[in-house]
Amino acid sequence: MDAVSLAIPLIEMTIAGAIINASVHFIPVGGAPAAMATSTGVGTGTTQLAAGAGFTGLMGAAVMAATVGLSLTGIALILVSGAISSMIMLGVTMLIGQLIYVFGVGVVPAADKCEIDPITKDPQKPYVTPGTTGHGVPTVCFISGLIGAALGGIGGALAYIAMLKLGLSPALAGMLAVGFFFINAVLASYNIGGTIEGFHDPKFKKMPNGVIASTVASLLFGIIAVAMAL
Amino acid sequence: MDPTLIALGALALSGALATVAGCAEDLESDVGSQSNPNSQVQLAPQMGNIHRYFNKAISGEPVSYGLYVAVAGTVAYAIMQMGLNPILALILGAGVAAFVHGAYAISAYLGRIVGQSKNFGQPVYWDIVMSHIGPIVGHGFIAVFCMVLMAYLANTILGNPFPLPLIALIFGITVGAIGSSTGDVHYGAEREYQKYPFGGGVPVANHGDIDVKAEYGLRNGMDSSYFCSRLGGVLTGLCFGLIVFLDGWRGILGNILQGGNVTTASVISIVIGLIIVAILAVVNRKVEVFARNKYGPYTK
Repeated sequence: MDAVSLAIPLIEMTIAGAIINASVHFIPVGGAPAAMATSTGVGTGTTQLAAGAGFTGLMGAAVMAATVGLSLTGIALILVSGAISSMIMLGVTMLIGQLIYVFGVGVVPAADKCEIDPITKDPQKPYVTPGTTGHGVPTVCFISGLIGAALGGIGGALAYIAMLKLGLSPALAGMLAVGFFFINAVLASYNIGGTIEGFHDPKFKKMPNGVIASTVASLLFGIIAVAMAL
Repeated sequence: MDPTLIALGALALSGALATVAGCAEDLESDVGSQSNPNSQVQLAPQMGNIHRYFNKAISGEPVSYGLYVAVAGTVAYAIMQMGLNPILALILGAGVAAFVHGAYAISAYLGRIVGQSKNFGQPVYWDIVMSHIGPIVGHGFIAVFCMVLMAYLANTILGNPFPLPLIALIFGITVGAIGSSTGDVHYGAEREYQKYPFGGGVPVANHGDIDVKAEYGLRNGMDSSYFCSRLGGVLTGLCFGLIVFLDGWRGILGNILQGGNVTTASVISIVIGLIIVAILAVVNRKVEVFARNKYGPYTK
C-alpha cells in the first residue's frame, strides 16, 4: 500500500479515539451510588455504559458497511447509522432506568450539578433528597447522554472504517475496534474519576485532558494497526 | 421464501430472545447480588448487619457476562466447525459457560465472605452457597443460551459480518451494561432499603444499613429474585428486547419501503431511527413531569 492509503486510516483512527473519549464525558453515569438513588445518572460504570452503547453502534455500523460499501456516501451512512444505533441503545436504557426510578424507587429525577435544568428551565435543587447528589435521569442528562451516544457511535464506526481501509477483514476489524473503543473509554473514565451528570457538570471541563490522552493513545494504536496491515 | 420475511422472523425471534435474556440476566444478578448493589452487601457487615445474602462481583456484570457469552460462542463456533448441528453446538457452548459461571460464582462468594469473616464476624453460610448456586447457574444458562442463539441469528440471517464469538461478546457486554443500569436500581435502592420510606432515595449516611430480615425469616438472595421478578427483571428484559428489536426493525423497514436502492433504504432506516430517539426523549420528559407533579419538591 502507498503512503497516502496508510496515512488516511491512521488519521481517522486518531480522530476516532478523540471523539470516543469526548463522547464518554457526555454520558450521565452515577455508578453504584446511582443504583442506590443517591446520585444523578445511570447506575453503572462509565466505561461499561459507554462500551455497551458504543458496541451497539459498532454492530449497526458493521451491518451498514456490509451493505453499502466504503464509498464517500457509504462512509457517511455508516457513521450516521453507528450513531443512531448507539442513541437507541442509550435512549432505551435511560428511559427504562427512569421508569424504575419513578415508579419503583419513587424519586423525582433531579440534577444536583445545576440549579435550573438548562433545557427545560425546571428548578432542580428542591427535588434533591438531602444527603444525596440527585437521582434519576432529568432531561438535561438525557439529552447529554444522547449526544454522547451519537459521538460514541460515530467514533466506533470511524475506527472500524479505518481498519477496513487498511485491508483487514470485517472480523479482525471488529475485534480491533472493540479493543480500541475500550482503550479510549477507559482513558475517559480515568479522566472523569467516578460520576458525571453530562455537559452541565463541572467535571465536563476536564474533557480536553482526556481528549489529548486519547489522541496520543489512538495514534500509537493506529501505528501498530498500520504495521499489522503492512 | 421471501428473504424479507425470513429476516423479519429472525428479528422477532431475536427480540423475544433478548427479552428473556435480559430478564434472566437481571434475576441472576439479584440472586447472586452482583454488580452495584453488591457494594452495599459488601459494606453491610461493617455496619453491623450480618446477612445471608449471596455476595459476588466478578468485575461487574458487563465484563462477567461478556466472558460467559464469549465462552459459549467460542465453544459453539468450534463445535460447529466440527460439523455438528448448530443448535446442539449452541446448547453445548452455553453448558460450558454455565460451568465457568458456577466456578466463578463460588470462588467469588468464598473470597469475599472469608475476607470479611475475621474483622466483622460475617460467617460463611454453606447452605446459602448450595441453595443459591443452582438458580444462579440456571438463570445464567438461560441468559447465555438466548444471547448465543441471537448471535447465531445475527451472523447467519441478519447480515452481521462479525464472527459468532465476537457478536456473542458484544451482546454479553451490552446485556451486562443494561442489567447494571436498570435492574440494579430496583434491587439496590428499593429492595435492599425497604425499611426506609418510599421515595427518599438512599442518603449516603444509610449506606450499608441494608434489610437483613425478610417477610419470613432471614433474607437471602432468593427472596431478592422473587421480589425483582415483579419489576426490575421484567423491565431489564423489555429494555434489551426493545433495543435489539427497534435497531433491527428500522433497517428491515428501510428495505421494505425503498424501491431496490440500498442508499435510499439506509436513509429511511436512519430517519426512522431518529424518530424513535425523539419519541424516547419525549416519553422520558413526560415521566419526569409526572414524577415532579406527583411527588413534588422535598419538604422535610
